[in-house]
Amino acid sequence: MNHFPGTWGRPRDDVYGPYDASYLRSTGPKAHTQSPAVTGTSVIAVKFNGGVAIAADNLASYGSLARFTDVKRLRVFGNAAVVGFSGDVSDMQYIDRLLESMDIRENYSAHGNQLNAKNLHTYLSKVLYKRRSEFNPLWNHILVAGFDGDKKPFLSSADLLGTTFSAPHLATGFGAHLAVPILRRLFPEERPIDEITKEDAVSALRDCLKVLWYRDARSLDKYSLAVITHEGIEVQEDQQIEAQSWAFAETIKGYGAQVV
Amino acid sequence: MMDQLVRQYSRSPHQNEFYSEQEQHDLTEGLPPLSLKFSLPPVANHSAFLRAMTDDHSNPNCPIKLAHGTTTLAFRFQGGIIVCTDSRATAGSWIASQTVKKVIPVSRLSRGEDKPGSEPVPGLLGTMAGGAADCQYWLRYLSQQCTLHEIRHKRRITVAAASKILANLTYAYKGYGLSMGTMLAGVTPQEGPALYYIDSDGTRLPGNMFCVGSGQTFAYGVLDANYRYDLTEEEALELGRRSILAAMHRDAYSGGFINLYHVKEEGWVHHGFNDMNPIFWKTKLEKGEFSNVTSEL
Amino acid sequence: MASIIGHNPHSNSIGYSFSQPTNAGNKEHSFYPYTDNGGSVLGITGKDFAVLAGDTRSTSGYNINSRYVPKVFKIGGDQETGEGAHILLSVVGFAADGLALKERLDAVVKMYKYQHGKPMSVRACAQRLSTILYGKRFFPYYVQAILAGLDEEGKGALYGYDPVGSYEREQCRAAGAASSLIMPFLDNQVNLKNQYIPGSGEGHALEAKKPEPMPRDTVEQVVRDAFTSAVERHIEVGDGLQMLIITADGIEEIYHPLKKD
Repeated sequence: MNHFPGTWGRPRDDVYGPYDASYLRSTGPKAHTQSPAVTGTSVIAVKFNGGVAIAADNLASYGSLARFTDVKRLRVFGNAAVVGFSGDVSDMQYIDRLLESMDIRENYSAHGNQLNAKNLHTYLSKVLYKRRSEFNPLWNHILVAGFDGDKKPFLSSADLLGTTFSAPHLATGFGAHLAVPILRRLFPEERPIDEITKEDAVSALRDCLKVLWYRDARSLDKYSLAVITHEGIEVQEDQQIEAQSWAFAETIKGYGAQVV
Repeated sequence: MMDQLVRQYSRSPHQNEFYSEQEQHDLTEGLPPLSLKFSLPPVANHSAFLRAMTDDHSNPNCPIKLAHGTTTLAFRFQGGIIVCTDSRATAGSWIASQTVKKVIPVSRLSRGEDKPGSEPVPGLLGTMAGGAADCQYWLRYLSQQCTLHEIRHKRRITVAAASKILANLTYAYKGYGLSMGTMLAGVTPQEGPALYYIDSDGTRLPGNMFCVGSGQTFAYGVLDANYRYDLTEEEALELGRRSILAAMHRDAYSGGFINLYHVKEEGWVHHGFNDMNPIFWKTKLEKGEFSNVTSEL
Repeated sequence: MASIIGHNPHSNSIGYSFSQPTNAGNKEHSFYPYTDNGGSVLGITGKDFAVLAGDTRSTSGYNINSRYVPKVFKIGGDQETGEGAHILLSVVGFAADGLALKERLDAVVKMYKYQHGKPMSVRACAQRLSTILYGKRFFPYYVQAILAGLDEEGKGALYGYDPVGSYEREQCRAAGAASSLIMPFLDNQVNLKNQYIPGSGEGHALEAKKPEPMPRDTVEQVVRDAFTSAVERHIEVGDGLQMLIITADGIEEIYHPLKKD
């Protein structure tokens, strides 16, 4: 304890050693053992009148290498929910095992599996939060789509830190930058969800995936799409982005602003 | 039997991903948990982690800014002990609060309403400088220990013993990143008026006069120049007030309200929590002090 | 003292020289466990009510995650509707920590009711929240919390916290991204700082105005003004204003749209 006002009450170098900024994300050497290796890019989803549509492409990248081109990143849980994963693929498979054993356990119980998408999202966000608190995160950003307890369409997100949020349309990864603005333009807040048809929602998702395929270097033109309605879950896993037009690319020079 | 065999030779596809019974209990346990169970970040060097997150002096952009307390003083004189503090808490250069109560009554008997000028309240007083949460929590913990002492031994704890409990604690947590500089003042039949200084390095010192905090030098300056053991009660209170005022004036990390206490044999008496601004102008205009400041409008 | 030594954190390091039986040791350091989800909250008390308000925007970096993520919660009530709650909590900072804290406090308040057969007082709840926050002193919850309710005399009570649990009862408090914009406004409008009675004297003899508890509609207007102004000058604040008002009759919720740019 000395008389320098600024340092007073702060850790002293002679007691605690020098300030070590490497705990803060941007500085210091980076160890890669905990950052993801094989990763999936964006997942996007929209609520519509009577359900939710969700889509993700079928690529698992290894850094910049398009390593696995037939990886399904949408997982169906029971008959109530679809979970879309971006981020680390091994952690996705781990969570999938977790969900599978939970589904089996629930189905063996007397009441049958009654977990809805909202319950599932709560559970997954707590798992993610607990793992981040152990400094051993599951490196994913997930979207959970389905219905809540009142049978209303439900769509919510959870990331590797345990942060959760919900909105009428959501996207992870690059999609948060590219797809969300498109979806916000197509389905502005003033427009009630009742006015959005299933066809509107699906075609919007296909458009977004096309834009992502044009601009996200870690994306693929093969994708999966799931639609959850009260009738059940409809999953199409080998979709192809159609009517591609790369004509716009010919005029682009440099970062796009360059003209000569 | 079959189940057992299967369980023995198959491995669970995943670890148990939820909170254990014990963890769930700890999160919601019904008893007041003034315990010593702290969750530590699961990294090798947690004090370095904590410092990276919270040391706003070494890194003004650190994510978590904690409230810090600032100028406090206490001194013994013939009529007991004067305890006086400012009331400012800063987080970096942001003034988080101007109304912090930096004098904290310790021990069960002093839980009563803290009204200025009321009857003396038995018990000890602790002061707060450094991390606001550290001081509040550990003085609360000390209060609990003092009450237990009273129940076990049927007499009030001595200031020496109370300060030792606190010093043992801060010493046990040395290197963990606690930050507190506190004074304990009290009058007991065994010791008479007693004053101790305890800090987060584990230091524990008895003494007649301490100033603690970033404004300590300014307070010492006024206090040393005017201190006598045989000050009258009135003079002693005024000296405490004047010393804190000097520190508030010269130290940017001190300010707000002057919080003044007098500890005597029957207990402590609160002598007000007053805005420094009118007191400053009164001191200047009526006594001619602070002539460095102009009173021109 | 035995129990203290028993729980002494140093005892962790007393182990066998040949092996560490726990999973301590090679842990990764590069993972950064916090993020800031932006937003601001604000609380003001009156004679027989307390208001706690927050914007509903959730951000990460320059992205808006969602335009409706509430930051103010009812504590001690029904999980879905909040019915029966008598305390309000707002948390701003890292939303996942905030949610964990809210759920923990909610469980504590419910356990208290179950064990004691009476609702927890705001004063007790305030101290308990401080203890919970301090329990993570070495791995803090990255949140600034504000707790509100009615005290034993039925007066509005408001408690402000720092991330590790130092707390204080106040008339008003702003926290979060725009606290540095809102707090000076509250100092002036609620605590009447630097306002003097006109004609009460010359120069230093001017008499300061004394703050009085404000009526409820004035408080609501001050809250709205604080947030509409913060939205103009802070990118992390906007979308919607959620205002919870606690009175002896219960908790009322008001939602006001804010600018969405």
